Amino acid sequence: MEILRAENVFYSYQTKYQKVDAVQNVSCAFEKGCFYAIIGESGSGKSTFLSLLAGLDVPSEGTIYVDGQPLNELDRDAYRLNQASVVYQSFHLFPLLTALENVMLPMEFKKISKKEARIRAQKLLQRVGLEERIYRQFPKMMSGGEQQRVAIARAVATGGEILLADEPTGNLDSENEKKIVELLKNLAHEDGYTVIVITHNQSVAEETDHIFRMRDGHMEQLR
Amino acid sequence: MMIKNSIRQLWRMKEKTLLFLLLLFLASGMCSLGRGFWVINNRNIAKYEDTFMTIGTVEQKASSVQELQDWNAETKEYRLYRRPMYHEYIPESVLDFEGADYLSGPERRVCYGAYCPEYEMYGLGMSMGYIIEATPLEDVVPDHPVQMEVTKVLYGPGLMEHVKITFCDHRNPKPETLYKGKTYVMNLSLWPGHESEKAFSDDYVQEYRPSGDLVSTQTDTDGNPMENTVGEEYFYDEVTEGFYETETGKRWMNQLACMEYLRHIFPVSATENIYLMMAFYRGDVYISSGREFTEEEYAQGSNVCLVSEQFANNNGLVLGDRVTLPLIMSNYKKSTGWVFSSSSVKIGSLLNAEGEIYQPFETNTYEIVGIYGGMNGTGDDYGMGYQEIVVPRGSIRNSDENNIIDYGPMKGYTTSFQIENGTIEEYMKKWEKLGIDDIEITFYDKGYTRLRAGIENMKNIARLLVVMGTVMVLLVLGYFTWLFILKQKERTAVERCLGFTRRQSFWSLFSGILLLLLAGSISGCLAGAFLSGEISGNTGENSYYDTSFGNSTSVIITEIQEEGEDFYPAAAAAETMLGILLAGSVIAGAGIIYNLRQEPMEMLGK
Repeated sequence: MEILRAENVFYSYQTKYQKVDAVQNVSCAFEKGCFYAIIGESGSGKSTFLSLLAGLDVPSEGTIYVDGQPLNELDRDAYRLNQASVVYQSFHLFPLLTALENVMLPMEFKKISKKEARIRAQKLLQRVGLEERIYRQFPKMMSGGEQQRVAIARAVATGGEILLADEPTGNLDSENEKKIVELLKNLAHEDGYTVIVITHNQSVAEETDHIFRMRDGHMEQLR
Repeated sequence: MMIKNSIRQLWRMKEKTLLFLLLLFLASGMCSLGRGFWVINNRNIAKYEDTFMTIGTVEQKASSVQELQDWNAETKEYRLYRRPMYHEYIPESVLDFEGADYLSGPERRVCYGAYCPEYEMYGLGMSMGYIIEATPLEDVVPDHPVQMEVTKVLYGPGLMEHVKITFCDHRNPKPETLYKGKTYVMNLSLWPGHESEKAFSDDYVQEYRPSGDLVSTQTDTDGNPMENTVGEEYFYDEVTEGFYETETGKRWMNQLACMEYLRHIFPVSATENIYLMMAFYRGDVYISSGREFTEEEYAQGSNVCLVSEQFANNNGLVLGDRVTLPLIMSNYKKSTGWVFSSSSVKIGSLLNAEGEIYQPFETNTYEIVGIYGGMNGTGDDYGMGYQEIVVPRGSIRNSDENNIIDYGPMKGYTTSFQIENGTIEEYMKKWEKLGIDDIEITFYDKGYTRLRAGIENMKNIARLLVVMGTVMVLLVLGYFTWLFILKQKERTAVERCLGFTRRQSFWSLFSGILLLLLAGSISGCLAGAFLSGEISGNTGENSYYDTSFGNSTSVIITEIQEEGEDFYPAAAAAETMLGILLAGSVIAGAGIIYNLRQEPMEMLGK
């Protein structure tokens, strides 16, 4: 079942010196419960496209549909809070909150009671393979792999359907990379998330169901 | 939830948060202390404006000095003495120049004398002089003490007929011969006798000397002496048959009447502000019951008066009673304080140039609205005359041109004005531009200038504290905005990515900062206000201020008793706190908005 679709999406922006056409006439669709990879060189427009999918930016032309609804007609903040979450290469956890608090935070903002948020967060953290001993810690005391798991748990904490990950394994060693990829695959196949990963790591891309490649703002489906 | 989360994150930067609180407390305290000082000092200035008064006294300098000689019959030689001379009398109108913003005056107070036969000024024990008829025991030239027999006492308490007295025309180098068998009418006063080395021996006698009061000193309004019908050397006359029917004899009779007048003549001053009179200004005298004149009474020249306690007590007068004051004389040269002392009266002659007793030029009935106590009648130029009566200047409406018994230049004790406190230098600059060298102006401000300078210094300190505090507040706010907000760009971006609205992201950071701002600024401002109140309270009690200014040698000390009230500039502290809150909110808000304006992906990408 299609959950996310881009139709003739363009995105350009003006730098100090020139106009950059970061995304050019991209059309693609993403199914629920599938694991996608978008690969491409640096500067090919992958991350920009991801931010358009996350509703962090608006296409210059074209439309992105979420469950058949044009994204630009939705409340994009609510969309990110309820439907789509983003995970980054650098984890971007709140350094002054423990792992558990990091995961609880978006739930608390969704007016979920503290008690329930705590129970849900604990379950999620256990689901991504973290023990209580670990998730009571502050991010700086955790390994990169652990931090990324916390980031993923936080991303799915509000119960969305779409997980967008920008180079989620970029800062990890191969062992942790495998664990994270496995986790993302499980989230897609077992929990029904639509997981879209941006990567230029071929081995990560190989683990996904579908691969898109972006080059100079254009996209093509490889698999 | 938002605040809790915000505070939780701040609390996990305990050291930085506490440092921020401490620095904000200190900076707010400094601002508030400065503002508090500022407000307290302004309040003090306003308070002292009512306590202090700046008056200037005006004195014409002598144009030259005249050397005079006075014969001394004892030493048989002239005694030299000097007196100031004035080419012309400068009118008080010179003080009305452009830019002279007087609050009162300038006024030249005249020493008026009111003849009130119903009231007793001096008792019979007071020697006013003697008018007698006497005959020498032999033909003599009275250039030395000679014996005469009193044949008739016309005026002279204590002096009896047939008594022999010692007479000497002491100051006359060439007295005329007095012949035995002839009777002379004489105006005398009692003096220490010759051979003063015998002053304490049994055979030491005092001597009677001629008094010049028979000679009129009347002048016109420009101070020119009016021609007497008798000469200046006129001291005694031979009494012949029908003498008292002659012009000269009538003058003697008038002089006799004057002796009685002197017992009932009261000093009167007319003023437009009683504090232009030095006795009131210095506090030598004060209103002990009743009240001062009102602005309206001054303006309308109402018939109200202030009398001394002695005058009221001697004559059984109370507030609300009325006294009628027929003014018969004006003295422009001397002050009431000098002319009317409690031990002597130095009016001079009450006869005009025609030898007649001056007639009232103004008669008003005044209501007593105030009674003053304190020193009067000490003989001090600047003091109050004995039993002096004070009336509003405007109540004297008639011209005294025919009643001027003496005229002189403006003197410090007759001419004064009031200007606004703290404007002495400004006044003097304008005055000096006129280039009038013959007038000397002396200011009295009871130390206001020095006090004001002290307060201005305090205000400068307050200004410095406010500036330093403000700079410190801005630096603290700037630094911590950078630390807590601009360095938290990532947090804002992540929150945005997690679906926080811009408003939620804003409050997520701002609520905690606002709480810190409130805590730091409230505690700092309260501490500053308390401290400024305490410091000013400690320095303000029982302050003594000296008081001279510039060319004045007089010193008047004013004691300011604080009422013991604790004054803390709460409003100023609240304003300062609001200012800091506002500044902090604007700076922090601007920082957060700056964060929010950046694209989250772009920020996180960096």
